[in-house]
Amino acid sequence: MDEKQTELKKIIMDTKTLPTLPGVINKLSALSDNDKSSVQEMARIVSSDQVLSARILRLANSPSYGFYRVSTISNAMILLGVNVVKSLAISSSIFEVMEKNSVGLWEHSLGTGVVSNMIAKKLGLPECEEIATAGLLHDIGKVIISLKCSEAEFEVRRIIDEKQIYMWEAEHEILGTDHAEVGCWLAKSWFLPDKLTEPIACHHNVEASANHRIKTSVVHMADVLIKASGFGDSGDSFVPLIQQAAWDALKLNEQIIAELVEELEDKLVEVKNFSLELQQDCDAPSP
Amino acid sequence: MQKIPLMTAKAGMILARDVFRSESEIGIPICGKDTELTDTLIARLENLKVQSVYVEGHPVWEEGDRGLDDMLRDLDSRFAKVRQDPLTAKLHDIYANYLKRSMGESGGRKTD
Ligand SMILES: [Fe+2]
Ligand SMILES: [Fe+2]
Repeated sequence: MDEKQTELKKIIMDTKTLPTLPGVINKLSALSDNDKSSVQEMARIVSSDQVLSARILRLANSPSYGFYRVSTISNAMILLGVNVVKSLAISSSIFEVMEKNSVGLWEHSLGTGVVSNMIAKKLGLPECEEIATAGLLHDIGKVIISLKCSEAEFEVRRIIDEKQIYMWEAEHEILGTDHAEVGCWLAKSWFLPDKLTEPIACHHNVEASANHRIKTSVVHMADVLIKASGFGDSGDSFVPLIQQAAWDALKLNEQIIAELVEELEDKLVEVKNFSLELQQDCDAPSP
Repeated sequence: MQKIPLMTAKAGMILARDVFRSESEIGIPICGKDTELTDTLIARLENLKVQSVYVEGHPVWEEGDRGLDDMLRDLDSRFAKVRQDPLTAKLHDIYANYLKRSMGESGGRKTD
């Protein structure tokens, strides 16, 4: 790795400049996931922060979770699970930035969440909500790179244009790392569970996933499908190669893929509506 | 007929299908087929959290979305790097077939 790369990588992976999280989050991290009294305590803590609860509920009602009508935090915890609510809490500040400044990446993430959920349901997999969350967060590393180092982001975009390569390839050239690694580092600094961290870390290299191969494969396939559809903008416009390891892990076949394409094209109209509504809310002057 | 996000619906468009509450096609429709949309009606559907509606013709065109030939050309360029791979090429063909089916018939501009 040359000096320039090392320097840029250091800027991006500096914990001291991580986006500041609401103080509430620190309290949440201390609570265990499945203890019943913790769950009630967690709901109480989150509900005491109105801005945070509003953001969590908005994400919980997003199409990634199949449009549940979730109206309270304790309901969200029951419907989506504590892990999901916890990761929505810590990612909501990141998404806030994304919704306003990079609508294309936000739509790509939302779409990947929706399709991850769709695949998980179709294959009858357990923990659909967690898989949807992994899909929603899979490219979170891109947001961090752009937030922390606009110089690197600019260079990455320039060489994607110039060489017509995938974004992760461009990131390697400029930074000696990529958004999957940055995202993994971020997820770990936020103490997200392994089943969310691994799909983020390995969605471009399914074979490297050791403990959560199925979830990682779903997110990989969802990324491929959403890029095939042309929905959103992830940074480059090229469909990734379908990795054999993912295809095998999920025991996919042409029939399943054809059905998924049909379902997702139908669903994307609603995803688009959700995103347009959010943009309108962002544009509207606050009351 | 086109399925459109409610946010892009405009007064004057004609409903091509009944609209139901929260996507489930059970119960009594909120609003019948052949109704002409008005601003008041659109606002009401928004309040009822309706996300999408089916309207007559193909009134909403996104930028660059000019019909089947263009869509197939865009599809090919998105798949430019992976057409040699047998698995990913399958996905390309599935998508191309889907587009031909959905755009070729009632969804396409040609029939309007
Ligand atoms: Fe990615
Ligand atoms: Fe992606």
